[in-house]
Amino acid sequence: MRTSNVSYLVKKGITSVWKNFVMSFASFCILLVSLLQVSVTVLFMLNVNIIMNNIENTNEITIYVKDGATQEQKDHIQDVLEKDENLTDIAYKSSEEALEEFKATLDDVAVLFDYLPKNPMPETFLVRVKDLTKISYSVAAISSIDGVDQVKAPYEFAAALVNIRDTFSIIIIAMLVTLIAVSIVVVSNTIRTSVFARREEISIMKYVGATNGFIKLPFFVEGMFIGVLAGCASFGLAWFIYNSVFSLFSAENFSLWQMFGFFNLIPFNKIMWVVLAANCAAGALLGAAGTVISTGKYLKV
Amino acid sequence: MGEYKEMVEMKNVNVRYSSGVDALVDVNLRINDGEFVFIVGENGAGKSTLMKLMMREIVPSSGRVFVNGYNLSRLKGNKIAKFRRSIGVVFQEFRLIQDYTVYENVSFVLRIADQSGKYIRQRVPYVLNLVELNTKAKSRTRELSGGEQQRVAIARALANDPGLLIVDEPTGNLDPRHSLELVGLLKEINRCGTTVIMITHEHELVQYFGGRIINFDKGSITFDRVIGGSDEDE
Repeated sequence: MRTSNVSYLVKKGITSVWKNFVMSFASFCILLVSLLQVSVTVLFMLNVNIIMNNIENTNEITIYVKDGATQEQKDHIQDVLEKDENLTDIAYKSSEEALEEFKATLDDVAVLFDYLPKNPMPETFLVRVKDLTKISYSVAAISSIDGVDQVKAPYEFAAALVNIRDTFSIIIIAMLVTLIAVSIVVVSNTIRTSVFARREEISIMKYVGATNGFIKLPFFVEGMFIGVLAGCASFGLAWFIYNSVFSLFSAENFSLWQMFGFFNLIPFNKIMWVVLAANCAAGALLGAAGTVISTGKYLKV
Repeated sequence: MGEYKEMVEMKNVNVRYSSGVDALVDVNLRINDGEFVFIVGENGAGKSTLMKLMMREIVPSSGRVFVNGYNLSRLKGNKIAKFRRSIGVVFQEFRLIQDYTVYENVSFVLRIADQSGKYIRQRVPYVLNLVELNTKAKSRTRELSGGEQQRVAIARALANDPGLLIVDEPTGNLDPRHSLELVGLLKEINRCGTTVIMITHEHELVQYFGGRIINFDKGSITFDRVIGGSDEDE
C-alpha cells in the first residue's frame, strides 16, 4: 500500500476517536482503570520485593570455630565460605573482639571478665545467606567443614519469610492474570460496541472491494491511540498515588516501617520512564488486541 | 482474465438457501462486454440473489459463475476484494457513508484501490462532473436528496473505471422525472463502453428505454429478448 494511503488510514483512525467520542471515552475509561490497577499492583509488588529483600538481609548465620583450631583450619573455613555462592558478607570475629563486644553490652559488671583466667568467647565467622530457601543446604555444608564446632542459623525466621514471599507472589500473580484477562474481555467488548455502531460502514467498504487490512487499520490505529492515551493517563495517576504513599512512608515518624526497610522504597523518578513505556505499550497492545478481536465478525461480507 | 469474451456468464446455476428456498433454478445466462441489460421480475423472482451472486456475496449451490473474467465459485480471500474493485455496484439503498462528504465517498474507493493522491485529485472531480455533482463535493452525504445520493453512489461505482456496472433498483426512491434522467445517465455511461446491468421491477421504464431484457420468475429466466424502446421514437 502507498505511504499516502497508509497515512490517510492512520489519520482516519485518529479522527475517528473524536468522531465517536462517547464510545472512545468509554474505551478510554475502561483501559485507564485496567492499566492503573495493573500499574499499582506491579509497583506494589516491586516494593514488597525490596522490603522482603531488606528483611531477608537481616538474617545472619553464626559459625563457631572449635577451640584450639589451627590457623590452617580457620583459613580453610574462610576459603570454603567464600566459595559458597549462597553466602555473602563473610566476616571473621576473633575471640578478643567477641569478648570486647560482649563487655560493651554489660556496662558496670564488664570488669568481672578481666578476672577470668581464659577468654571464654569462641572465634566466629558471621555470614549472610543470599537465598533463604537454601539455608539448610548451606548450614549442612558449613557444619561438615573441618574445624567448625557449631552453626547457629535463623531457620524459623527464614522459613516464615520464604512462606510469606511465596504466598505473596502467588496472590500477586493471580491478581495480575485476573486483571489482564478481565481487561482484555472488557476492552474488547467496549470496542466491539464501537465497531458494531459502524458495522454499516464496514460492510460498505467490503462491498466496494476493501481488503480486511484496509478496513482494520483505522480501527487498529484508533484502538492503539486510545490505549496510548489511557496509558499516559494511567501513568500520571500511578505517579500521583505512588508519590502520596512514598511521602507517607518516608516521613520521620514512621520509624517502625523504616525498621523493616520501608525507607528503601523505589523513588518514582527512578522508574518513571519504564512505567510510562510499560503503560503506553500495554495500553496500545490492549487497544489493538481488542480491535482485532472485535472487527473480525463484521468482515465476513 | 481475458479468457472470456463475456462479461457475465452463468452455467446451470442453482442457489438453494439454508431455509430450503430455491432462489435460482438452473439459470444459464450470458451478457457480453458493452451490453446494457435490464434484469426484471417481481419481488422474490431471484433478482437480488442474482446480484449477490454477481458480487460474490454468495456462491451457487451448483453451477458456475464467471464475472469480468473471474470464476466466482473458486474465488477466495483477498481475491474477492480485488474482484469487487474491478466492478462497480450501485445499491438500491445507496449504501453511502453518511458521515463522509460527497468527495470522500468517491475518493475512498480509489484509496481502497491504492491509487496515488494525484490520480485521486484528478479522478474524483471527473466522475462527480459526470453525474453533475461537482458543486456538491464538500457536502455531507446526509444533506443530499435521494436523487443526489443515488448519483453519488453511481459516481462511487464509476470511480475505478469498472468494466461492469451493476445497478440495483436505482429508481426505487426516485420520482418519474429523476428516474428517466438516471436511466439516461446509465445509457450514456454504457455508450462510453461500460457494460451495465440494471436490476429493476419497473416494467414501464424498461418499455420506455428498450434494449435487452431478461425476465426472472420464481428463480428461473422466463424470457430473454431485445425490445425497441419508445424513447427511440421521440
